[in-house]
Amino acid sequence: MNLSNSSISEINKLYKNKELKPSEVYEEVFNNAALSESIIHAHLKLFQEEGIAASKLSDARFAKGKQLSQLDGIPIAIKDNINLKNHETTCSSKMLSNYISPYDATVISKLRNSGVVFTGKTNLDEFAMGSSTENSAFGPTKNPWNPQHVPGGSSGGSAAVVSVGSALASLGSDTGGSIRQPASFCGVVGFKPTYGTVSRYGLVAFASSLDQIGPITNSVEDAKIIFNSIKGHDPLDSTSIADTSIEIPDDKTAKVGVIKELMEDGISDESKNEVEKTIKLLEDQGNKVVEVSLPLTKVALSIYYLIAPAECSANLSRFDGVRYGSREFGETSYQMMENTRAQGFGEEVKKRILLGTYALSAGYYDAYYGQALKARSLITKDFENIFKDVDYLISPTTPTPAFKFGEKTENPLEMYMSDLCTIPANLAGLPAISIPTGLSSENMPLSVQLMSPARTDSSLLKFSEKLENLISFDQRTSLLKEMK
Amino acid sequence: MNMIPTIGMETHVELNTNSKMFCNCPVVETEDPNISLCPTCLGLPGALPVPNLKAIESITMLALSANCSITNNGMFHRKNYFYPDLPKNYQISQFDLPVGVNGSLEIILDEGIETVEIERVHMEEDTGKSKHKGSGRIDSATSTLLDFNRSGVPLVEIVTKPVIKSSKEAVSYIEELRQLVIDLGISEGKLEKGNLRFDANISVAKEGDKELGVKVEIKNMNSLRSLEKAIDFEIKRQTKLIESNEEIIQETRHWDEDKEVTSSMRSKEGSADYRYFSDPDLPNMILTDEFINNIKKEIPTLPSDKRKKLIDTGLSMSESNHLGKSEVWIYDLYLDTQKLTNDCKTTYNLITGELQGQLRKAEIENLPEWVNSERLSEIITMINDNKISFTSGKEVLTNLIQNEINPTDFAESNNLIQENDFDEISKIVKDVFEANKEVVQRIKDGEEKLVGFLVGQVIKSSGGNINPSIAKDLLLKEL
Repeated sequence: MNLSNSSISEINKLYKNKELKPSEVYEEVFNNAALSESIIHAHLKLFQEEGIAASKLSDARFAKGKQLSQLDGIPIAIKDNINLKNHETTCSSKMLSNYISPYDATVISKLRNSGVVFTGKTNLDEFAMGSSTENSAFGPTKNPWNPQHVPGGSSGGSAAVVSVGSALASLGSDTGGSIRQPASFCGVVGFKPTYGTVSRYGLVAFASSLDQIGPITNSVEDAKIIFNSIKGHDPLDSTSIADTSIEIPDDKTAKVGVIKELMEDGISDESKNEVEKTIKLLEDQGNKVVEVSLPLTKVALSIYYLIAPAECSANLSRFDGVRYGSREFGETSYQMMENTRAQGFGEEVKKRILLGTYALSAGYYDAYYGQALKARSLITKDFENIFKDVDYLISPTTPTPAFKFGEKTENPLEMYMSDLCTIPANLAGLPAISIPTGLSSENMPLSVQLMSPARTDSSLLKFSEKLENLISFDQRTSLLKEMK
Repeated sequence: MNMIPTIGMETHVELNTNSKMFCNCPVVETEDPNISLCPTCLGLPGALPVPNLKAIESITMLALSANCSITNNGMFHRKNYFYPDLPKNYQISQFDLPVGVNGSLEIILDEGIETVEIERVHMEEDTGKSKHKGSGRIDSATSTLLDFNRSGVPLVEIVTKPVIKSSKEAVSYIEELRQLVIDLGISEGKLEKGNLRFDANISVAKEGDKELGVKVEIKNMNSLRSLEKAIDFEIKRQTKLIESNEEIIQETRHWDEDKEVTSSMRSKEGSADYRYFSDPDLPNMILTDEFINNIKKEIPTLPSDKRKKLIDTGLSMSESNHLGKSEVWIYDLYLDTQKLTNDCKTTYNLITGELQGQLRKAEIENLPEWVNSERLSEIITMINDNKISFTSGKEVLTNLIQNEINPTDFAESNNLIQENDFDEISKIVKDVFEANKEVVQRIKDGEEKLVGFLVGQVIKSSGGNINPSIAKDLLLKEL
């Protein structure tokens, strides 16, 4: 049996029936990591000893029949911008290369209390800014389907480890598509919940009004299990919301809208084809599928590249070398801060800080940031109106399958375009999921994205699970097959 | 030519909440650095702010008491600037939607009431503290020590409109504000502890000018005395510049306590552009009418109301102002006693002068419960009915503080009741006249001040139990 691709519920059953032990599963995923890391570089750190110890504690619990939850003994990897107590949180930045967090993020406490075994921290674009992990200060992660291709980003490491089986699931963060885009590039499921349903406490902020933690998994069911264990209002996060699962139809009575603007120019035929194939499956099942128009998706990218940099320019101000992180010498304290920031941040991060600082500056605020806020609220309204008519929206997750290294590094606009389909859900705070559907001509995975109204996460997951069952997609990467 | 100074005050009030503004760390008063810290107030990566409800109640109470309109749908903003003791390099503050706007505060100026208009009252968090070594300023320091205990302590900033006309008025405004926050119980209000910190914006214009002059901000005034001196200095400095047709630079100046001058301060970050934007970590600050009404119910009697009540009893403005600033029990005791005596002056003098003074002298912290308005009014009525002198009244009071006595019985048994019998006093007056013929003659020749001497002689011969005013009246009549 191939454990690393098995579902969490299956493995949990085996644990309970004492046919399998958490330490055995941990050993397998660790071996997968040991075999694959030199090729894909998805983990920044592996917690070997800690993982063995935690999995043995879990063994003991199952031996006594006292599991903490369905996630007890399940090995999960964590994106390295989420704080785990007494471990480095580097955000793939030189700035934090030596930073050790003294506290657990809320999601980590929740998973810890569920008995999860943490496998390690995964690579990302520096401070989650990027779409390929090429912006990691510690070197890029490679796509397990083909190491010449990027794994996507910014949660590229988190997507790759699930795809290669060096963790059963992972946590990522999604600001403009950073969970869904790499999940799509690596052929796994990526789910971004409604903004606020999962606490951001302990997630190193990139753009606070857009950031959301979510799972990257082998299946929708796994995503659901992890989501259910990390969601809920957190008194430490004022923007977190109480769990109010609004229900909408999740069977063949559900009406699905295809976003016209995300099926036009700029989207590859291969990506469109996956959506059309999926629509066919839904229609065969009895779902009504209609075309809808969201004209503002055309400017979503522009709105995003004002709001996200503006917020990041303030969020990243705290990295100054004064209290923690790396510090460069300076004659005065201001020079020390300047030198630290000049040396500690990579090019993409600096670019966005500059962009955001500019957008917030006196005399420019109204023209840029102020306008972007207004346009953002219009997009949110557009979505609300569309959801009066349809229950779900479908689109490609990405305009193309995973591109090759270096292909887009010289052209930032083209790189930014890879988040074209995912950004609108962040701007409107909506739940959105990426489900793998097939392979491209180059044998790279392709996915579709489903979105639904705010706070309908549970229904979206149920509907996605049913859709997933209609799709036959073999998640085993060539690398994983080789390793067996 | 007449120069008209215009002053606006920006005051920071440190609230006395148990915990900090956006985290659970206790607010501590200690010299031990960095003992009350957490990821949030240290600005660690991933930490988030959670507003302190008590602080929001306190600022709402202050804004209401300063007659502000309350913003129902307010917001926190980030104020961006780099400074080593500001952990996030932005301060969570408020910008265009502060808790309170357009208020006013009544202050006392030269026995009259002035109104100082308040522009805004907003909520923010305090910074840490820097200790520069080798120099007083960060740019020239050899090293700087940072203490983040104060980081995140709730601060309220109160900004006046540019309506204050003199240093004296500015001082009176701060005194009034200080009394207000103390009476509301929202701050200790101690200037020496930095609970109240103020900056002054000062401009000077020629009389008749339609526009205000160039604004100069003065920082580092740590006492009311330095506030007064700094404003006076700055008004003079600007006046001289205008008179000699020199330019006044819009800048921030530092008050030098030792040299008693202001000097130009380098600004924090070139010309400050704080790039305010709404803090995405915090939801809007919704203050419902119900919330506001509940706060209204908790507002105690305000200093201005106290003053009005006291003036209504007949006290002067300065007496009312003084008593209004006293502790609540003194104020209440005065009102209760005055109600019984129907007299303000003697009641005021006995309670604020004698009673408070004697308690302090005897080092008695809590007023004995038997020293109540009934017993005090008994003493005051005896004084006012001329049964005892004010001096004897003080004696009764001294004993009352020590023991539970009946004032009237005490006065009688201690021979303090004074002679009010005209015939009896007349007899003594005649005797004194006989014995001091020379003095009487000198008075008749115009040395009127010698009357006092004769009054003294009359009292002396009576053994002290004589009403001096009756004695004086009779003496003058006789003369």
